[in-house]
Amino acid sequence: MDFLSNLSLGFSVAFTPFNLLMAAAGVVMGILIGALPGVGPPSGVALLLPLTFGMNPTSGIIMLAALYAGTMYGGTITSVLINTPGESASVVTCIDGHQMALQGRAGPALGIAAIGSFVAGTAGVVLLMLVSPALARWSLAFGPPETFALMLLGLTTVTLLTGESAIKGYISMVFGLMLAMVGFDIISGDPRYAFGVPELMDGIDFLPVAIGLFGIGEVLVGAEAAAAGSAMVQARYGLRDLLPNAADWARSRWAIARGTVLGFLVGILPGAGPTISTFLSYALEKKMTRHPQEFGHGAIEGVAGPESANNAAATGAMVPMLTLGIPGSATTAIMLGGLMMWGLRPGPLLFEKNPEFVWGLIASQYIANVMLLILSTAAIPLFVRALRVPYGILMPLIVVFCVTGAYSLKNSVFDVGQMLVFGVLGYAMKKLGYSPAALTLALVLGPLAERALRQSLIISDSGAAIFFLRPISAVLMVLAIAAVLVPATRGFAAAAARRRAAIAGG
Amino acid sequence: MRSADRIAGAALLALAVAFSAGALRQWAYWGENGPGPAFLPFWLGLVMAILAVMLLVSGLRSPDSSEAWLPSGESLRRLVLVLAITVAFVALLGVLGMTIATVLFLVVLIRYLDHQRWLVALAVALAVAALNYVVFTRWLGVPLPTGPFGF
Repeated sequence: MDFLSNLSLGFSVAFTPFNLLMAAAGVVMGILIGALPGVGPPSGVALLLPLTFGMNPTSGIIMLAALYAGTMYGGTITSVLINTPGESASVVTCIDGHQMALQGRAGPALGIAAIGSFVAGTAGVVLLMLVSPALARWSLAFGPPETFALMLLGLTTVTLLTGESAIKGYISMVFGLMLAMVGFDIISGDPRYAFGVPELMDGIDFLPVAIGLFGIGEVLVGAEAAAAGSAMVQARYGLRDLLPNAADWARSRWAIARGTVLGFLVGILPGAGPTISTFLSYALEKKMTRHPQEFGHGAIEGVAGPESANNAAATGAMVPMLTLGIPGSATTAIMLGGLMMWGLRPGPLLFEKNPEFVWGLIASQYIANVMLLILSTAAIPLFVRALRVPYGILMPLIVVFCVTGAYSLKNSVFDVGQMLVFGVLGYAMKKLGYSPAALTLALVLGPLAERALRQSLIISDSGAAIFFLRPISAVLMVLAIAAVLVPATRGFAAAAARRRAAIAGG
Repeated sequence: MRSADRIAGAALLALAVAFSAGALRQWAYWGENGPGPAFLPFWLGLVMAILAVMLLVSGLRSPDSSEAWLPSGESLRRLVLVLAITVAFVALLGVLGMTIATVLFLVVLIRYLDHQRWLVALAVALAVAALNYVVFTRWLGVPLPTGPFGF
């Protein structure tokens, strides 16, 4: 069967010593990056992307994907121990995880998260392996209109789900698209919005932008907040201390299973990443449980479900990135940019043209999940010690990484300056409720979306109607439009209700 | 937040109008057989203008304009200083080279933010600069900016 031969090809790639080393390095750095407050998965991937330029793309993606999986667990450690989420997908874990720690049950909280992460991550890879080739085959039939409609759907959903207000989300997204217009036009060759600056003629590279928005932006937010040390709950981390007891296990089993399925499905949706999946999973567990009164007071399902969901979602987010070239989250948007820098064309053809890349990645994800389970049970004390590095030392180190990373792309100080500008922008966006993730996604997808749009209109003899005359593209367009309109109408309804209430009350 | 929305709305509106108008003035909206280079920029500017007006309106409608969003006092000072030190670091890259600039930057910022002893700050700075040099220049072959001493 050609499925098995693909998988064995994958394992033969993943089991080379260098790739194993990269997977291990990715998991370790991922746990650290996830655990450190202020550096999330997108900044981690953006900062480490430059390190992969000297590697073969397969080793590069193996490291980044392992890192992504690691961050999902790393964030848990800080959530449970100091009630500060290391990254956004662990925000929910604070609610019950920290309560458990206060009750002296930090061990089982971390243990169930590790087990849930392993189960969900591994099941996620199985699903990734089964779903992706079929999806890739199906999307081979996509022409420019379908491609454009799909990108539009990705852009509108990411906007729908991030940022504080829909308007600010869309502003972030459209601003990203405007930035994507800078540089030589793909068809006519006109240098658009370059203002005669040679560095702008080739367009705005996404890497300095992503490093600035996420890396420097976070540093500035952190610099403003007083670097007060937070109290860490002390706990024991022997293997026995981590094992959940029989009652924990009975309560968590189905939470893990539900979190896995939910997380994977949410992860596949373009735009809805791990963070969303954790909120949904928490809400679901609260509905399903027989102990609703314990939620918020250390219910282990409230840790098991979301922690499984975020790992499954991180894997699920790879599906649209690999098969359609549409990222499912901010982090996969940056990975997608990496793929393009390595000279790979994400999308259906990737499975045919670069099987060693796709299957090596899939096989290495199995290995990374095993490594994650081992490290997250055996090495917790080490990671806890790393958390004690003062923020005042960590922050300057992040800046040095950002500067080196932005420079190394093209050996250009101009890029470093550009990164700083976007760092300040990232700070302002975060403070004012805009969405850096939507901006990054739009910048990556912008040129691809423009090409698909213009090709569609060139082959069309009915103008923009072409997007609605082809069945797949019509469905995608309707979904994209619904993603814009539904929250808007909800907003109107809420405003109307407020007015009615004001009249009735006044 | 509200005053910030008003300022952002007005600035984005101006940007959007300039973006669309600039596109139409300089490049073709429609080419020989399809949309030209000005096609998408024009529409993006238009959409941004609509969004900016919506932001502006929601900013003007809401009565509350006192909400503080700019940091003040100690926070503001720390923010500005961190940014200034970082800008100085980048400006010095070309003059001093990556290694020396990194050491200087780290010592200054670690001393300022963490009040570490000179020795600790210097040790961290030297270790990081050396690691950076080994990984990027030696291993990845990225020619980091060099200073008067060749590193």
